[in-house]
Amino acid sequence: MEPLYGVLDMLVLRTLLFGPLHGYAIAGAIRDNSGDALTIEFGSLYPALKRLELKGWIAAKWETSERNRRAKVYRLTPAGRRKLLKEKSEWAEFVSAVARIMKPTAGEID
Amino acid sequence: MMLWKRLAYLLPWRRRAAERDMRDELQSIAAMARPGELGNLTIAAEDARAEWGWTRLEQTMQDLGYAVRTLRRSPGFTATAVLSLALGIGANTALFTIVNAVTWRLLPIAHPETLLLLGQRQGTAIDNGFSYQQYRMIRDHTRVVDLAAYGRARLNVSIDGRAEPAAEGQLVSGRYFPLLGVAPAIGRALGPDDDRVPAGHPVAMISHGYWKRRFGLDPAVVGRSISLSGVAFTIVGVTPPEFFGVEVGTSPDLFVPVMMQPVVMPVSENLLADPINGVSWLRVIARLEPGVSIAQAHAALGSLAPAVEWRPRNKRGDVVADVTLALTPAATGLSDLRAQFSTPLRILMGVVGIILLIACANVGSLVLARSAARRSEFAVRLALGASRSRLIRQVLVEGLVLASLAGACGIGLAYLMMRVLVTYVSAGRSPVTLDLAPDARLLGFTAAVSLLTGLLFASVPAFRASRLDMAAAGRKDLAGTRHSVGSLHPGRWLVVSQVALSLLLLIAAGLFVRSLQNLQRQDAAADRHQVLIVRVEPRGSDQRNIPGTSARLDGIYRDLLARVERIPGVQSASLARTAPLAPISLGTRLTTPSGGEVETRILTIYPRYFTTMGLSIARGRDFSEDDLRPDAPLVALVNETFVRRVLEGRDTQGPAAVTLSGQRIEIIGVVKDSRYPDLRRPTPPILYQTFLQTRTGRGQMVLHVRVAGSAARAIPQLREAVQRIDPDVPIFDIQSLVEEMNAAFVQERLVATLSGFFGIVALTLVCVGLYGLMSFTVARRTPEIGVRVALGAARSDVAWMIARQTLALVAMGIAAGLPLAWVLGRLASRQMSALLFELTPVDPLTIAGAIGVLILVAMGAGWAPARRAARIDPMVALRNE
Repeated sequence: MEPLYGVLDMLVLRTLLFGPLHGYAIAGAIRDNSGDALTIEFGSLYPALKRLELKGWIAAKWETSERNRRAKVYRLTPAGRRKLLKEKSEWAEFVSAVARIMKPTAGEID
Repeated sequence: MMLWKRLAYLLPWRRRAAERDMRDELQSIAAMARPGELGNLTIAAEDARAEWGWTRLEQTMQDLGYAVRTLRRSPGFTATAVLSLALGIGANTALFTIVNAVTWRLLPIAHPETLLLLGQRQGTAIDNGFSYQQYRMIRDHTRVVDLAAYGRARLNVSIDGRAEPAAEGQLVSGRYFPLLGVAPAIGRALGPDDDRVPAGHPVAMISHGYWKRRFGLDPAVVGRSISLSGVAFTIVGVTPPEFFGVEVGTSPDLFVPVMMQPVVMPVSENLLADPINGVSWLRVIARLEPGVSIAQAHAALGSLAPAVEWRPRNKRGDVVADVTLALTPAATGLSDLRAQFSTPLRILMGVVGIILLIACANVGSLVLARSAARRSEFAVRLALGASRSRLIRQVLVEGLVLASLAGACGIGLAYLMMRVLVTYVSAGRSPVTLDLAPDARLLGFTAAVSLLTGLLFASVPAFRASRLDMAAAGRKDLAGTRHSVGSLHPGRWLVVSQVALSLLLLIAAGLFVRSLQNLQRQDAAADRHQVLIVRVEPRGSDQRNIPGTSARLDGIYRDLLARVERIPGVQSASLARTAPLAPISLGTRLTTPSGGEVETRILTIYPRYFTTMGLSIARGRDFSEDDLRPDAPLVALVNETFVRRVLEGRDTQGPAAVTLSGQRIEIIGVVKDSRYPDLRRPTPPILYQTFLQTRTGRGQMVLHVRVAGSAARAIPQLREAVQRIDPDVPIFDIQSLVEEMNAAFVQERLVATLSGFFGIVALTLVCVGLYGLMSFTVARRTPEIGVRVALGAARSDVAWMIARQTLALVAMGIAAGLPLAWVLGRLASRQMSALLFELTPVDPLTIAGAIGVLILVAMGAGWAPARRAARIDPMVALRNE
């Protein structure tokens, strides 16, 4: 299952809230945290990272891992944190609105 | 912040760094992932790049770079295309600049759009000349418009006691500079206080050009003394550099108050005291007072008469009642130049427009041939995933690159052509100054011409390229062997239209050149280089009705002739009222024996005029010194037309005579007809009289001198002899009869030379087009021709086959061009006829000649490809299959 357009940005920001990660790890984290329900194509994730970086919500830095591997690591900026809070409340509203519409009514028998 | 980051990506080094960073990151990630897990990383990177938002721009830059590289790879094609277009664009720009300068450019004054010109309207005709009294009356009794006047004057200048070349001056009224809103560059401008008392304000302004030329921009020029016509004037200021007066094409160097007219024009009478009916030497410019509409101004001006009687009187002394005052916009300046050259310039605009069309067709067919050759390239690009729109864009960008290159070259060419054109236009008596600096409108025009041209010739190949059938193009192109002309069709039509258009130009060029030849053949005088002409204006020669003037002037003239004839190298000298090609204004109606009336021209001359001009006397004798005595009997010579029309052929029965103003004049000789004074019209009857026996009152004359050997050697002594009459009177340029003729035929020469030049340009372009098309055809039909030769076709048959195709194209072009020429000749017949002498716009001989030249040149262009076809080796041709 692929996330809705625009939701991907939110998921990336949320994932980075736990700590800095490199691009490959972000895809893995989203898959794991969703209980393998969401699979992010790398081809979609990578342009999203660039987009978020350009907007200043995440920042990237080259780091060397404990296994002496260089990787570009992304972390949340204060602006990204604010954006995430806003997205979260909007998402909650959106979900509840959709839920109200989708809730089974009296006349509906499944 | 986001915008800054995005802009930063436009910097090449920043983008290179970003690209490198992205590549490293993707590599590091690919190292972590399982093979194939990440999908197409190239597309991911491409999408990431798109986030930077400059994709469109980057692609355009790529297209540009690609276009430049492709064009550089085929220099022959590029040079031909750029040169053809540059010629078209250059010619258009040059003519547009001149037309712009002459007709549209606003005057460099404050609020040119509200400047008006006062005129005397009678019916539909408006006369812009006013006498001083008229101007003063109207000015003094008008509250609704602000009026100022100016008149032209040629001034004799001397500085520090040394004589300078005569300068073009302008007499201006006090309100002239304030009304125009022209502020001085330095010093002060002439104002109302400089124009109150006749002969009482010896002050002058000089033009910026004169300041630069004569005084080296020295600021100390203000306050300097300068002698004009022998009277000391003080220079009070300099006009700004962009100001040339309000008449486009003229450039006065000196401005003096109108009140100084009697002082600076000693030759002429006092024009300030001239009656209303006197000389109309002033032009009047006007601006409405604030809050006054043009209708109110007209109403107020209309109610002036008869209380203020400014209107002129006719010969019987009655007021001409139907003359009214009219205000017309003067924003673009008055210009005799415009009146004189608007027809030739308009015709030339048409000619260069056609040149541009031919150039476009030429480049179009070149691009087309090339794009056919590039089919496989396009096919490969399509196969690799390029979108069709990208391909179209690519071809369009190539077209635009070509067009901008051509535009740049065209502007350079335009400057060259402009210089030539202005030199032509200036060949008249007074130098022409045009402000030819490029302005926004010109740049806009050039840009539009280049862009439109680029789009025009790029569009056809672009859309053809996009219709490309990939599968067909991928195969080896065998269209030639199937004899498919379908793909050649647009190219053929382009060449055919080129032929048709150039036929038009050739016919026009032929007409104008032949017309000029017809005109020049009219001139009877042989060896025109040997005759020098200079205008002589002794002091007082322009004053009327002063007793004793004629005798005094006659003395001066005979003295002058005696002195001139003593100059070494001078064969004969004489004086005549007008120069050979200037109109003889004096006309008299004479009664013929049968009772009819014939308009006759009277020309005042001195003895030896006919010898000097190279005209021969058919019978009788020339004037002699005896005829110049005050008590000599009245005598005259006449031309053959006079004998035929006025005497009705009756001079053969003994000595004839005519009666003029009640006096009997004996005719002592008959002169052979010549086409002077107007070569364009039939010879009028002319009566020649001596100076003292002509009753005109005025007496400027034109000195005619025939020299042996080099004319240039006699000029300095001639000038000295004329100057001796009166050093304070302006001396005019000494011209040869050739120069005089050139000046008289300047329009015809301009049009003939330029249309001839453009005719050659058109022929060259057609040659290139035909050669290109036929070479291309031969190249494509090589296998077919190989087969033909292998099957036994003679080489001459092959050559003839190709030549026939060339001829067919030309024939089609001519068939299309002829009706077009006929229609255009009809449509522009008024403009054309104005410039054609003894020719109609559809002259069969000229048209036949143009067709002949076209066929000849076309065969020349088709010869090389035909020869190449004839030499095709069947083995080589078939091996390539």
